[in-house]
Parts: sequence; C-alpha cells; structure tokens
Amino acid sequence: MAIYLQTIANGLMLGALYACLAVGFSLVWGVLNVINMLHGSFIILGGYLTYFAWHYYGIHPIVMLPVVALLMFALGFVLQRGAINRVVSAPVLTTLTLTFGLDMILYNLMTYWFTATPRRITLDLGAANLGPVVLPVDRLLGTGLALLLTFLLYAVMRGSNIGRAIVAVRMDRTAAELMGIRTDRIYAITFGIGTLMAGAAGVVFALVFPITTNVSGTWLGKAFVVCVVGGLGSVPGALVGGLVLGLVESFAGFWFGPQNAITAGFVLMLVLLLTRPTGLMGVKGYE
Amino acid sequence: MKPLAQYAAIIVGLVLLGTTPLYADNYILRTAATVAMYGALATSWNFIGGFTGYPSFSTAAFFGLGAYVGTICQRNGIPMGVAWTIATVSVAAFAALLGGIILRLRGHYFAIGSIAIVELCRLIVSSWSDLTGGGDGLNVPLIHASPDAVTRLFLFVMLGILAASLVVTIIVDRSRLGFGLRCIHQNEDAAAMVGINTTAYKIAAYTLSAVFCATVGAAYASWTGYIDPTDSFQIVMTVKVAVMAILGGAGTVVGPALGAAAFVLLEEVFWANFIDWNRAILGVVIVLLIFFLPGGLLSLRARLRRASGGAA
Amino acid sequence: MSRQGFFRSARLALMAGGLATGIFASVPAGAQDADTIKIGAPLALTGGLADEGKKQDIVWKMWVEKVNDAGGLQVGDKKMKVELIEYDYQSEGQRAAQLAEKLITDDKVQFLFAPFGSGHTKIVAGVGERYQVPTIACVASSESVFDQSFSHLFGTLSPNGGMTTAMVKFFKQKFPDTKTIAVLGRDDVFPKSMAEGIAKAAEDGGLKVVYKELYPVGTMDHAAALSSIKAAKPDWIYVTGYTQDLILARKQMQDLGVTAPIVTMVTGPSYKEFTEGLGPLANGVTSSSWWHYATSYKGQGVWPTTADFYSDFKAKTGGDPDYVHGSCAAAGEVIADALKRAGTLDKAKVRDAIAATDIQTFYGPIKFGPNGMNLVRELPIIQVQDEAIKVLAPADIKNADMIAMPK
Repeated sequence: MAIYLQTIANGLMLGALYACLAVGFSLVWGVLNVINMLHGSFIILGGYLTYFAWHYYGIHPIVMLPVVALLMFALGFVLQRGAINRVVSAPVLTTLTLTFGLDMILYNLMTYWFTATPRRITLDLGAANLGPVVLPVDRLLGTGLALLLTFLLYAVMRGSNIGRAIVAVRMDRTAAELMGIRTDRIYAITFGIGTLMAGAAGVVFALVFPITTNVSGTWLGKAFVVCVVGGLGSVPGALVGGLVLGLVESFAGFWFGPQNAITAGFVLMLVLLLTRPTGLMGVKGYE
Repeated sequence: MKPLAQYAAIIVGLVLLGTTPLYADNYILRTAATVAMYGALATSWNFIGGFTGYPSFSTAAFFGLGAYVGTICQRNGIPMGVAWTIATVSVAAFAALLGGIILRLRGHYFAIGSIAIVELCRLIVSSWSDLTGGGDGLNVPLIHASPDAVTRLFLFVMLGILAASLVVTIIVDRSRLGFGLRCIHQNEDAAAMVGINTTAYKIAAYTLSAVFCATVGAAYASWTGYIDPTDSFQIVMTVKVAVMAILGGAGTVVGPALGAAAFVLLEEVFWANFIDWNRAILGVVIVLLIFFLPGGLLSLRARLRRASGGAA
Repeated sequence: MSRQGFFRSARLALMAGGLATGIFASVPAGAQDADTIKIGAPLALTGGLADEGKKQDIVWKMWVEKVNDAGGLQVGDKKMKVELIEYDYQSEGQRAAQLAEKLITDDKVQFLFAPFGSGHTKIVAGVGERYQVPTIACVASSESVFDQSFSHLFGTLSPNGGMTTAMVKFFKQKFPDTKTIAVLGRDDVFPKSMAEGIAKAAEDGGLKVVYKELYPVGTMDHAAALSSIKAAKPDWIYVTGYTQDLILARKQMQDLGVTAPIVTMVTGPSYKEFTEGLGPLANGVTSSSWWHYATSYKGQGVWPTTADFYSDFKAKTGGDPDYVHGSCAAAGEVIADALKRAGTLDKAKVRDAIAATDIQTFYGPIKFGPNGMNLVRELPIIQVQDEAIKVLAPADIKNADMIAMPK
C-alpha cells in the first residue's frame, strides 16, 4: 500500500513540474500558432541564470524567480517583435523552422558560455514524511511554485484586460482586430509570457534537476506530450496534461520498469491523439 | 518550372554528383553521397510535407526502421541488396498501416503525432534488446573492399535512390495523384467534396514519403557498419530534412533536393572552419533564409526575373 | 537562373576542394613525407557528449604543446612536429564517420584519436580500419567494441570486465554482511555492459540480485525505480550512467530516503563534476576507475611521472584530472613510442609497432592484447570521503579505508 501511495506522490510532484514546463509552450502554440522549438533552451537558460546567481552571489533561487521571469519576458518580447513576428502568419512549418534556427544559435551560445558540464544547486532541503510517504522538500516547493505560477497565469488570462485580449485573439484573430485589439502587441506579449513561464520553470527545475544544455531536447519533448494530453492553448489543459503524464510515467516505471516509463507516456499521447485529438481539456477548433 | 528545365536540372545535378570520382578524393565523394542521401530524404518528405501540406516529422522513424530491418536481415545472412529491399518493402507497409491511423489528424496534431512516432520507435527498439541489441547497438558486416571502392559504391547507391525518388516525384507531379494531393493541400474538405478519396491519397503520400527513407536507412547502416537507437532515430534529423525541403522550395520537384544540397554543403563549410560556432552560424543562415527567402531557393529565380524585368 | 547559378557555385566548391586536395588523393600517404605528423580527432564539442569531448580536447592540446616544445617526436633520425586536427561531430554518429573520412582523405592524418564512448569509437574505428589508419581509442572499454577483428584499433583502457569481479570480492571482504544487490543501469553501450557485468559478478560471488533494470537515454526521473529499490532493501545499490544521470539519481535517493551500506555509481566519482555537483551528498559513494592521479606510475614520455602530469594539468586548468584525461594523454604516448621504434611513417610498419607496444607511462603500463585492448590490470576502487576522492584498493596505492554510506 505504502508503495502505491509513494508512487502516486512521485507522479503528482513530477506532474506539477511537467505542467509548469508545458504551460508557456501550450500558450504560444495555441495563440500564435507557433511551435516554439526554443522552449527547451529557454528553460535551461532560466536554470543557468538561477544557478549562477546562487553560485556566485549566493542569491536564493526563489528570490531569483521574479528577476528571471522579468528578464525572460523581455527576451521573449524582443524576439517576437524582432524575428518571429515577421513570419507569424506563415504556415506552421515556416515558423517552426525559424524557431529551430534560433534555437541552434541560443544552444550554441549557452554551450560556449556555460559549457555542457552538469551543474546543480546544492541546497538539499531534505524530505518531509507524511505517514509512509516521503516527500522531498525541494520537489514539494517546486510543485507549489509550479501550481502557483500556473494559477497566476490562469488568473491573468481570465481576469485582466490583456488576458482577455489574448483569449480573444486565440479564438478569432480577425474579429479581435475588428474590435480594436492590436494583435501584434498581443502576440509579442503572449510570446513574452510563454518565455517567462519557460524561464520560471527553469528556476523551479534548477531546485530539482541538474542543469545542462544536453537536456533541452528532452524538456521540449515533454512539453509536446503534455500539450497533446491536456489540449493545446489552455492553462487548465497543461495542468491536467502534466499531472496525468507524471502519474502515468510513475506507475509505468513501477509496474513495467524504468525501461518502459517514457514509452508509456508516448503511447498514452498517441492513443489520446487518435481518440480525443483536442486533449483531455481541449476546446474544439484548435486543430 | 518547365518540364524540360526540370529534367535538365535533375540530370545536371546527378551528373555533377556522379562524376566526382573522376577528379575528387573520398571526402568529396562522401560529401556528394551525403548530399544525395539527404536529397533523397527531403524529396521523400516532399510527398507528404510539400505536395499534401501535412507537416510530417516521421522521416527519422522510417530511416531508423529501415536501418534496423536491413541490419537484422544482413546479420542473418541475407545478402545486402536483398536486405535493403526487405527493409524498403516492410517499412512501406508499416507506413501505410500507420498512415491509416495518424492521418486522421490534421495540422498541429498531425505534426506532434508524427514526431512522437520517432521517439516511440527509438524507445521500442531500445528496449527490445533480444532483437536489436538495445542500447548496445548492432554491428553490420563490413564490406571488405578498398576504401575507394566502398565510397564509390555508396555514392552510386545514394545517387540511385535520389534519382528514383525524383523520378517518382515527377510521375506523381504529373498524375492525378499529384493533382489530388495539391487539392488536399489547398482545402481538404473541398477536395473530398469534389470526389477525391482524400484518405487513400494521403496514405499514398505518406507511404511514398517512407519508401526511400527506408532504403536510405538500410544502405546507410551497411555503409557505417554500426547502428544504435540514439543515432538512428534522431529528432534533429527529422526536423533538418523538413528544413532542407523548405529551404529549397516545398512542393516543387527539384526544390527539396536543391535545399538538401545547399544545407549539406553549408554544414560542411561551417564544421570545417568554425569548430566552436558551427551550430550558431547554421542557425543564423536558417533565420536569414526564412526572412528573406521564405519561398525557398527556387523562389529566387522568380524574384530575379521580376527584378530584372523591373529594371528593363 | 538561380538554379544554374547555384549548381555552378556548388560545383565550384566541389572543384575547389578537389583541386586543392583531391589531385593528390591517389598518392600514397607514405610518399608525401611532410614535416609534420598529423593526428585527427573527431570530437563531440556540442550535443550530448559535449562535456567529455571537451576533456579530450584539453588534454590532447596539452600533450601536443608539450611535445612540440621539446622539438617534436623522434622518427628515425629526425624530429617531427605534431599537428592535431580537430572537428566537432556534435555527438552524432553519422557525422563522426564523415569527419573521420575527411580527416583521413582531406587532411591526410596518419593517426586517429577516437571520440568518447564505445558507440562512436566503433563508428570512427570502422572508417580507420577501411583506410588502415591506426586509431587509438582512449575512452572505450566495452569489449564488444574490440570484438570485430579490427587490426588498426587500439584502446588504452583495460576491459571493463576487470572492474566487476574485483569489486564484488573487495566489498564482500570489507562488508561480509553484504547479501543482496540492486542494479540500475543506463541503456547505453558502456553503462549497460557495466550493469550486466556487475549483476553477473555478484551472482557468481554469491550475492542475490534483488532488482535489475535499465533506464532509457533521456530519463529525467528515477523516482519509480528508486521506490522499488527501497522496497527491496538491498545491501548494495549499484547505479550506472553518465554524470547528469548519476547526480540526479543520487539526489533522488537522498530525497526518497533510499540508502544501503554500499552505494556504487559508475563512473560518477571518477569525474570531478560528480562531486562538485553533489557536494556533501557524494560522500560515501564508491566507484571504480581506470586511473587515478593518486597513483604513482613512472615511465617514458613528456610526463615521466603521474605527479608531473598532475601538476601540469593543475597549472593549466586549475582542476584535477580524471581517467579520461589520463587515458587520452597516454594515447599520445602510444603514438610517440611507436614512431620512435618504427623509425618511419610507413603505415604498415607503424601499425605493427603500435601492436607491439609495451611501455610504462605516467598512466600505467600499456601493452595491447590480441584484440587491441590494453591488458587487464588491477584497477583502482575509489570512494568519496569528505568530498574528496580516496583510493581504497589496490593495496599499493590505497590512501583510505572504506567507510559505510553515511545515513
């Protein structure tokens, strides 16, 4: 029994991290219609900023969270304005190619500056016990932050003018323009928010995982899966997708061995794609 | 482009690559073979990605499966050429089956579905270690011949596959199939309404996009002599092939092969000269091309004509 | 127009390449006796193996500089400078093969240094074999790499089979209560062969294997596997993988309260990145390695003793060398020694001279077996104590006693 509870706890904590990782990716995809190949590298960049602030200046990662978020927002805003906006209405493949090219540049810069050496923030906050279940404190903290960030984003999307404008653009760009919404600006802000969320995920991940440029592709792949499982472009979708993926990987690893844990996630994704292409929480019309 | 110009371009290109053994060393030959290899991959991708407009990222899956099927056959004593054929046929059958399932998806969802196939193939091949050797990879019996002969052989094999893929492209381009695929690209629902069997057409395009990738994969495995799951099923390769086709001009006959040639040659120059910065430079080139030549290299022709027409 | 234009420039590029180098392609390498010895190295400077590739890069450059400062390598009656030609193969096997071919046919290297890891070593060695260019592999230890009857491939690491049996024996002697072992390995050539090797050695040594699983490349969470291991309560936990995998696994073991009297990670503690990344969590972790700078070997070459190499390396990089550095520097010495004995650059003679290598170096003895691998020798068993690496065995270089894993 205890092992099942532990497996559920492992899955939920991992799932919250996955949700945090994917929500920005999902938003950009849903609103801008851009598959952002830079997303994995943005997460790593956020992680490096956090690591270096901690390593050289002793700044606690949580303090860095707003700083990294702001910097990443600025980076995303500028990138969208200067580069991606030029082809934003082109077909999916063109924008994908562009972000692929940009990712090559960012990846190369990071490998050059930071080297690929895996680094880790050695805070080691210990673990809490809840009955027979062990809950690592940094994962709990990561889970909390991930949920908080996701919730904040949700609140912004629902409650603020900007958020409502973003939703409007996602639903119908032309109509939104007719209503006086400046779509260019909304696109840049959305991309900025997507980048911000990637950076914030990087901060959270820096608490839990070793940081290295090698894993940017892995994180990008996870973002794909989470989006499909949960449904594109919606914040609750990413949350549900992340949690489901975390649980599935956790149980598959327990039952079928780690060899098949990731495979199970992909199988789930394909099955969902075919049976419910809009994802568990998706809205019709975004395919 | 006029048909005659197309044929001329293809023949000139193939002859250029095929005559390298007359004057160049094995490195140039290998580069020429790599151009042909990626040319064949990009031309294959063009059936589904270019003509039909479905953003497919399955290339590496077909390549990797072809490599594995071919290798496993060869290790069981089947002669090389037969092994390649078995790989080609079985992967094509696999693609047809798979196409029947995932082509129900459209747009983004199809894109992710097809990219997931690559990752899934890698994971399955990796864990099925009785058959595939798992993470250890597999050795392919090396061909015992002089390096010159081996390089030449694989140059001509890759050129043969490229030529075959181009011939099929021309046939499809001219046929009802090509017309139907373009209709699907424009508007799938409308295409279905005017009586095009969209499902069958899409499956045909998807299968065509797999056939030559499988042959290339099997031939590549025999060439290198060793394959493993990570190198055989690379997401990077899958994206790169699509990028090549777009660079050259997706949906055209010679564009994808042209894009592959440009991409491979640029890569060669950058690796050789900029050891620390090769990726970034290639990235910059891709970004600039997307900005200034979004229609691919072939659109440059039209632009130049327009520019010179304006001047005159 | 552009198409023709493009083809013209492509042809020009090919032609230029052809003219510059291709014309001489048919001239046998021995005949064009240049004044330098060229060694080619396809390196993984980006991609998944970037960190390891960088290590090879550093130490080879150090070696070449040192050799050239001394006037070069002795070949017959003259001294020849060494030139190292490196390319980034981006951790992709296909590119490694392509660059190996470029190095041989275009840059006319006489020797190849194989890149990091058993898989890519196989690929590069395949090209070297075809051209009969001697290939020295310094970071491939899986015997499967050397089982293809390549006659031009030589490896400076000893077979990794030697790492498992000795370790089981040593641990059973130190901790006689050890009855069970749990093994978690990365599904990749070297880590997998170590995981299977230890499971077999443990069974042969009378231990019970209570858990044995592999995790695929790209795994970023070990919670499920570790929870199962925890339930199995083993006396010894053995994990294999690359540094980032092992850092994560150790961290998650701590988080989930998974521990055992003995925790071994291969090749984790051999790399300083492991101890740096883990800090106090690294304490108590044991491992085996092919070489450690605490050894005191003496021999020939630009670094007569292990201490010389260590101080040079420290001065150059500020860090401690690990076995990758040691083994790769020794690969250079193999070439130096073979050239001295052969007295010529003639391919066949140099190859035979390498095969007959029997030298002492700062890295230890090098003598190749029939398959081209360095002969089995006693390999160090190491442990992290107070965030530093201590050597537990063999007895002659031991500098600490084994401790149980801290709770």
